[in-house]
Amino acid sequence: MKTNYYTLITGASQGFGKALAIECAKRNMNLFLIDLPRTSLVNLQVFLQNNFEIKVCSFEMDLSSKEDCDKLVKFIHHQKVELRYLINNAGVLSKGFFNEVDLHYYLKQIEVNICAPTLLIKLFYDQLKRNSPSGILNVSSLASYFSLPTKQVYAATKAYLYSLSKSLNLEFRDDNIWVSIVCPGGMNTNPYMCYKNRTMGWFAKLSIMDPEEVAAITMDAFLERKEVIIPGTVNKFYLTLGKLIPQSIRDTITTREMNRFRTAELSMG
Amino acid sequence: MKIFITGITGYIGSKLAVSLVEDGHVVHALVRDPNSVTLPIHENIIPFKGDLQDIESIKLAMKGCISVFHVAGYTNIRCRDIDPFYRVNVQGTSNVLKAAKENLIKKFIYTSSVSVFGASLPGSVITENQPRMSTYTNDYELTKVLGENLVKEYSSNEFKCIILNISRVYGPGITCYSNGINKLFTIILKKGFLVVPAKMEARANYVYIDDVVEAHKLALKQAKAGDQYIIGGENATYERLFEIMFAKAKMKKRIYPINYNLIKYICNFTSLFSLFKRYDNSLCSRILDFLFTDRAASSVKAQKQLGYRYTSLEKGLDLTYEFIKKKSHENKLLHSYNRS
Repeated sequence: MKTNYYTLITGASQGFGKALAIECAKRNMNLFLIDLPRTSLVNLQVFLQNNFEIKVCSFEMDLSSKEDCDKLVKFIHHQKVELRYLINNAGVLSKGFFNEVDLHYYLKQIEVNICAPTLLIKLFYDQLKRNSPSGILNVSSLASYFSLPTKQVYAATKAYLYSLSKSLNLEFRDDNIWVSIVCPGGMNTNPYMCYKNRTMGWFAKLSIMDPEEVAAITMDAFLERKEVIIPGTVNKFYLTLGKLIPQSIRDTITTREMNRFRTAELSMG
Repeated sequence: MKIFITGITGYIGSKLAVSLVEDGHVVHALVRDPNSVTLPIHENIIPFKGDLQDIESIKLAMKGCISVFHVAGYTNIRCRDIDPFYRVNVQGTSNVLKAAKENLIKKFIYTSSVSVFGASLPGSVITENQPRMSTYTNDYELTKVLGENLVKEYSSNEFKCIILNISRVYGPGITCYSNGINKLFTIILKKGFLVVPAKMEARANYVYIDDVVEAHKLALKQAKAGDQYIIGGENATYERLFEIMFAKAKMKKRIYPINYNLIKYICNFTSLFSLFKRYDNSLCSRILDFLFTDRAASSVKAQKQLGYRYTSLEKGLDLTYEFIKKKSHENKLLHSYNRS
């Protein structure tokens, strides 16, 4: 697939974004990588450029800044980069109980997880339409399906993406643009998460997947224009189970887990 | 100059300490067991009984020192449990860093491994800038990288921290699982043949122990705050490695390859017997994968910036062979002496 078209990935310097970038590079897709400054993004750019036969651009910016987004559009215009795929992956993770976390954190989280993808889709819509058939992949989370204490705002932002994607997929159909949404479960992304996942009980460990594995499944499904992508058998099973059991039981389980988490926090603090 | 060392009873640490005192330095060593047989004895090597978990013992041993070599690490990848890895490689490193900062240490050299970079791509070599391509599959790599992150966080112009990523080390020294090549040599000498997984094209980097010691000293002298260097030697496939080894031993090359996946199945099966033990077999599929991943690396950066030079594989294996021959001869003498 040697083309002059590019795939834009946000939050590409680490974790799932990096895995997606590497997966795209393996499929000979030119890349336009975005992440915050000082995140070794340039390292990844140079490495992918040297080891795969693709063109790679990178742009360091803060997705929560409208100014930076305007700069991005100018840069892309100036570099004559033509996008065919847009992957909204960047996201701010959850931190703790609602009344304990600073408001600014949540506002930032909403800006990065909700405003930025909306803005990017709006900004690049014309380009994507021009270069169609083209696709948009939004990275949501399995959390968007469940009510999760300590992940309240995070899960809600991911549910927004889920809902947005499904509507846009219908709306953009005539423009030959498809919109996919991927909902991964827990992943061994950065070293800290790897360690945390390794120290969990065996039952919780079952659903944990490696980002490169999830990235391969995701890109396969995305390029086949699948609308909702749930990687992993265990995750699919959890999701079905979650739909089958009554809400009262679900809530009991979640509350119990939350209390356990709370006591663990207390004993740690 | 007074220098603090951890891991002095280990393969690299013992050699480094001896070399430092030969240069006229005084070495303060943190040891769990002052009577350890692998502790090098010298009037300028001062052992301090302590533990990486006990920060007070580290602080005490470090008093008066200017530089630190944090060589100690938990490397036994047979261990199924991540806790010992985490305790030594992460918490231990954190304690040594804390103590060093408090003692106003000027330079801190952290001995890490090239395995933290993961596999090398076909036809390519690992450099210091290579981003990790896949997740961390074994606890050693994972905890070493967590340790590295701590070191990077601490580094400043007043407290210069340097990371050395060492590739596969071989050469004269104590017997432990960190020098598998020496063990292979012993097997070749004893049995005259090798049974190996049929993945002989796996390419890795091999570095001679004396070069590693030299690199540590160069880093102490010349490296700047936050620097990171891959310290390696020649890249070679198992095919080439075994060829040289048999040639050095003046034997006809007799290698019996067995299908890699078959070996893995057998290993997985035998692992079942040790399922509830803390340590896996020395040949479990996790270790097989660790050993048969492509890990070709380049130490060009260290060569350019530190003036680092490495010994060729031919020469290094020659020296190793002489050492092992001598040692097995001594063992035989000791054995017959004991009998009589």
